[in-house]
Amino acid sequence: MLTTPKYKVQLCCGTMCYIMGGAELHLLIEALPDQLKDKVSIEGIPCIGKCDTNEKLHPCVLINGEELNNASTQKIIKQLLTLDNNDVL
Amino acid sequence: MTYYNNAVITKRELLVRLIKLLNNDALLDEIDRIPLQMRPRTNSPIRCCVHKDRAVLKYKIMALLGFNIADEEDELTPLREYAEQALKGYTQNGNFLTVVDEACSSCVQVNYTVSNLCQGCEGRPCQVNCPKDAIMVINGKANIDHQKCVNCGICHKACPFHAIAYLPVPCEESCPVKAIRKNADGIEKIDFDKCIHCGKCMTACPFGAISEKSQILNLFYNIKHQKEKTVAMVAPAILSQFKASATQILSSIESIGFDAVIEVAEGANMTTDHETSELLERLEEGAPFMTTSCCPSYVQFSEKHAPELKPFISHTPSPMDYTADIAKERYPDHKAVFIGPCLAKRSEAYQNPNIDYVITTEELGALFAALKIDLETVSPNAGISDNVRPESRGYAASGGVTNAIRSVLSAGLQISTELIDGIDKKSIRLLKALPGKKQHTTAFYEVMACDGGCISGPVNVAPLKVSQNKLKNAIREIEPAEALNE
Repeated sequence: MLTTPKYKVQLCCGTMCYIMGGAELHLLIEALPDQLKDKVSIEGIPCIGKCDTNEKLHPCVLINGEELNNASTQKIIKQLLTLDNNDVL
Repeated sequence: MTYYNNAVITKRELLVRLIKLLNNDALLDEIDRIPLQMRPRTNSPIRCCVHKDRAVLKYKIMALLGFNIADEEDELTPLREYAEQALKGYTQNGNFLTVVDEACSSCVQVNYTVSNLCQGCEGRPCQVNCPKDAIMVINGKANIDHQKCVNCGICHKACPFHAIAYLPVPCEESCPVKAIRKNADGIEKIDFDKCIHCGKCMTACPFGAISEKSQILNLFYNIKHQKEKTVAMVAPAILSQFKASATQILSSIESIGFDAVIEVAEGANMTTDHETSELLERLEEGAPFMTTSCCPSYVQFSEKHAPELKPFISHTPSPMDYTADIAKERYPDHKAVFIGPCLAKRSEAYQNPNIDYVITTEELGALFAALKIDLETVSPNAGISDNVRPESRGYAASGGVTNAIRSVLSAGLQISTELIDGIDKKSIRLLKALPGKKQHTTAFYEVMACDGGCISGPVNVAPLKVSQNKLKNAIREIEPAEALNE
């Protein structure tokens, strides 16, 4: 059965995000719980420019277009689960 | 294996900030502000207070400038002074690790501690079984007398409530050769007569208290101000570390300001050829086995801990050595810069007069980030050598050397091989037993100090699984078309 992924996770692949922990996020697919498997698409995107500010925001991730700063695998999964659990359709 | 943790991120943030300042010609004016900017008063402190946090950062910077923390004479010396010296260049002493004593948390002297799970039972197996009479029961709870305890662990095993916890000292636990120990003040100290520069303590310490002495600022200053011409020698493992193709990575390195780029895989071609004929020759002469020589940490291990292994280690120079020869030949007036995933290469390069600088994957990543070099949009340059064999790029993962040697063996020739993947207490026993073994079923041992090979080196940025895939892609990039069709 083919399903269209509901959630789009975009990992910023600018070097700053990448070396500040972003590289780990490329293993996200392996960490997804069963509930989320087949519902998530993961892709790398070019730098989204968050590293220009003085604040430490990296690594940055977009989930369905919404920014998640200082992302970690667990933070992304938590956010996805929240979205998925609130999705009553 | 570099685990993702905040101490690693702090080190990288420091590197990026230092390079950015240097690039904006503001290093000397701003360097003493870095600890204040990174640990502002408004943040909740990581250690006891914001001042401690700042002091820790100051000394971490001092190490990244290339200094030995213990060499500090005057605590009031500002970072600016160290930076001035660092930019001029300074003499290294061959030891490339330093303990940031301010950051070292002086982990427990005694590894066992009684938790509040202690029920104060009648049996008291902890107390009756303690060989040193180190346990006293006070107010119904067991207490360990640190003066008497010898860390045997019997109480820990004996307690039926699991009330006695084992607290490791991460750096000591990770060191395969017992080269790091506490001094009288409880601060860790590295014994360089034993240290093999594997870098395991550095990645193990969750306080980031063990730092390498970097050359990055000195190098980048010279590149930026074109004080000297430079040639980058890029280890194959680097091609596995960034989210870009091998060609893009090599071109990006050039765009930092290097005058030329050579792949160390080119030197690996020569290592493969030489090592193969050496192996065949030795076997013909009746040698029972031979081991690789390309892992500098393993070579140091044999020198310092297993001299009996020495005669069985290949005399073939490492890919880095061969590449340095190539660099001297092609660019005689250039400074040679090795870029790799390895701490021990710093000390190997120190002994090679043809190599002037060593920088790591982390430092390269910091350069890319600070200079805003977007690897995927850098235009791929020509000048990437086409005489690199795919198997030579394969050196970066464990099993790669064996594979490369197999690829040049004449058809029909079979050689039994074994891989020793990672130097730890278990593989050390195996290695030390090799020379005395009567029966040898293996003729060729590939020894890698890092479990997984160079792609899991201590100063890498990508996790092992990601780098394994990326290395495969980098190898495929140069594979001849007919091999792909097979």
